[in-house]
Amino acid sequence: MKELLKELCMINGVSGDESAVRESIIEKIKDYCDYRVDNLGNLICFCKGRKTSGKKVMIAAHMDEVGFIVTYIRSDGTLSFGEVGWIDPSVVIGRQVSVGKNHISGIVGSTAVHNLSKEQRESAPEMDSLYIDIGADSAEEAEKYVSLGDCVYFDSEFIEMGSRIKSKAIDDRAGCAVMIRLIQEKPEYDTYFVFNVQEEIGLRGSRVSAFSVEPDFAIVLEATTASDIDGVNGGERVCSLGKGPVVGFMDRSTVYDREMYRLAFDTASELNIPCQTKTRIAGGNDSGAIHLTKCGVRTLAVSVPCRYLHSPSCVIEQQDFENTFVLVHELLKRVHEL
Amino acid sequence: MDIKDIVFRLCSAYGASGDENNAAETALDILHGFCTDAGIVNGNVIGNFGIHQEGLPLLVLDAHIDQIGMIVTEITDDGFIKVANLGGIDRRLLPAQQVIVHGKKDIKGVICSVPPHLLKGGSSKVPEFSEISVDTGLSRGELEEIISAGDTITFDSPCRSLLNDRISGGALDDRCGIAVILLALDMLQGKKLKYNVSVIFSVQEELGERGAKIGAYRLNPDIAIAIDVSFAFAEGENRKKCGLLGRGAMIGISPCLSREVSDILISVAKEAEIPYQLEVMNGLTSTNADRYSESREGAKTCTLSVPLRNMHTPVEVIDLSDVRNMASLLAEFIAEQEH
Repeated sequence: MKELLKELCMINGVSGDESAVRESIIEKIKDYCDYRVDNLGNLICFCKGRKTSGKKVMIAAHMDEVGFIVTYIRSDGTLSFGEVGWIDPSVVIGRQVSVGKNHISGIVGSTAVHNLSKEQRESAPEMDSLYIDIGADSAEEAEKYVSLGDCVYFDSEFIEMGSRIKSKAIDDRAGCAVMIRLIQEKPEYDTYFVFNVQEEIGLRGSRVSAFSVEPDFAIVLEATTASDIDGVNGGERVCSLGKGPVVGFMDRSTVYDREMYRLAFDTASELNIPCQTKTRIAGGNDSGAIHLTKCGVRTLAVSVPCRYLHSPSCVIEQQDFENTFVLVHELLKRVHEL
Repeated sequence: MDIKDIVFRLCSAYGASGDENNAAETALDILHGFCTDAGIVNGNVIGNFGIHQEGLPLLVLDAHIDQIGMIVTEITDDGFIKVANLGGIDRRLLPAQQVIVHGKKDIKGVICSVPPHLLKGGSSKVPEFSEISVDTGLSRGELEEIISAGDTITFDSPCRSLLNDRISGGALDDRCGIAVILLALDMLQGKKLKYNVSVIFSVQEELGERGAKIGAYRLNPDIAIAIDVSFAFAEGENRKKCGLLGRGAMIGISPCLSREVSDILISVAKEAEIPYQLEVMNGLTSTNADRYSESREGAKTCTLSVPLRNMHTPVEVIDLSDVRNMASLLAEFIAEQEH
C-alpha cells in the first residue's frame, strides 16, 4: 500500500488537469473491472461481485490535488499565479515547485524579510505578493518554457518519518490507493468505484459522476484535517493521527447518514480496529455533492487523518491508512445489509 | 573548477550559526587545495594563500560559513520539538516547512501548521517562535535518543538548477561567497600578487558578525573584503534597494567602507571589462565588513555582494554568472598586472 501511495502522490494532478493520475489508475485497475471516462474526466469503474443485493453502492475518491495555475508572465521573467483549491499562502511562500508538463523547476519568491515593514513581517503573506521564479531573465525567455494556464505543483519528497509518511497530495491519493486495492481484491458485491476530478474547486466531478451512477449508497474516501499538534488541545484537535480512520457525523457540506455512521463504528469495534469521529464541524468533501444527487443518496465519508492538509507536507500515520482499507473493505459488504 | 558543483557541495553541508563544523569541514577540504596551512581556529576556517612576501600589505578575503537556522530548546511530552531562531528568519514562511534536525543523526521533520479549513477567518497569522514546533513523527523517548537541546535545525531545501545559470537553495547566503573566494584563488594560482592574501570563512555572521570580530583581530589585515550577498530585484520590489541578477558583483560604497578600495575595484572592473553594479549604503553594511573596518587599528574595507533573491529563505536564488564575474574581479584586483 505504501509503494502504491508513493507512486500516486508523486504524480502531478491539479484540479482540471488530472489526466496523468487517471492514466496511472487505469493501468492498475483495467484488468479487474469495466471502466469509462466521462465528459469531465471522472473515471467510473464497475466491478462485478460474486453477489448482488439489488442495492447500488458507489465508493468514491478524488484524483485532483491542490496547486496553482500560471496567470501572467511578468516583464522580469517571473510568473504570477493563482491558487487552485484552498491553500493558505503561508505554506506557499518559500517552497519549491514545478511548472507545467515539462516540470520546469521553480521556487516561490517574495520580498526579503529585511525589506518588509514591521507590520508586513507580522502579517501573513498575500497570495498576490508571491511569484514563481524559474530563472528566466525576461518575459520573452520565460515564454519559451511556460504558457499561461500551465499548472504548478508543490515539489515535495515522499518520505517516512518514523511510522508516518510525509508527502504532497495525500489528499486524496490515499483514497485513490485504497480504492485501487479494493478493486484488485474484487469486492463481494457489485460495486461502482468512482475516481473524481475537481473536488478541490467545489466538488464538481462528483456532482456529475454521482448523477450518472445514481447510487443508493455512497462511501467517500478522503484525507481529513487532523490538528493534533503542540498547543492545540481537546476538541480543537478535530481528529488525531494513530486513532484510526475518521468517520464524521457532520461537516460543512453534509450531515451523514446516521445508520451508516453507526455501522462504521460497530464494524470497527468488531474488527477490533480504532475509529474516531471529528470533534469540530469543519471541512467538506465530495459527500456534499453526492448526497444531494437526484432524489438523495445515503452517504458516509471515511477519512485518513492527515496533518498539514493542503500543504506540500501532508503527514499521515501508516496504520491509519491500513485500517481505513480494512474498515472500508468490510463496510462494502455490510452496507448491503442496511 | 566547476562552480556549480562547488556551490552545490557547499550548500549540501549544514551549518546554522554556532554549529558550523559540518559546513566548515566541507569548505576546508576544498580550501586545502589552495592554502596548505588552512585549518579551523576557534570555529573560523583560516588559511594563507601561497607564501606571504615581506613588505606586501595583507588582504583578507572573508565570507561567512554559517546559515540561518533554528536551535532545539525543548522536546515536549507529545514528541514535538520546540525551537528558537538562529538569525533573521522570515517567520511568515515557517508553517508546513520541511526541516532537518541535526542530532546524533539527521532527522527530517515538518513545522506544525493548521490547515485553512480550521483557521479562524480562513487565514493564518504569523507565528511567534514560541509557537513553532517541529513534527518528526517520533515520540519523546525516540527523540531523546537522537536529539538534545542545543542541536540545530536547517531548512530541508537542497539546491536546484533553474533556467540559465540560476540556482536556488537554502544556504546560498553565504556559501556562494565561499565559492567566489575559492574560484578566485583557483584563478590566481601561479600568479604574482599585489598583496599577501589570507582567507577566512567566518562563523556566526547571522548572529552579529561574531566570527569575523575575532578573525579580524587574529588576522589584522590592512585591507579586508567581505564577500556576501545582497538583495536582487524582482518585480514589485523596491528597485532602489536591489541589484539585478546576472549583472555582476555589487561593489559596496558606504561612509563606513574605504572609498579608495571601492574605487580601485570599480576601475579594475572597467579595465578588465568585468560587469559590476554599485551598492550604495548610507551607514553600516550589516556584513562582516563592519567588523574588519574597526578592528585593532582599523582596516581599509569593502564589500562585494552577490545579488540574491529571497534572502534568508529556503529558496534563495542567485545567478552563477555573478559568482564567476565576482571571482574574476577579485583575481584581477589581486594579481600584479603583467604589462
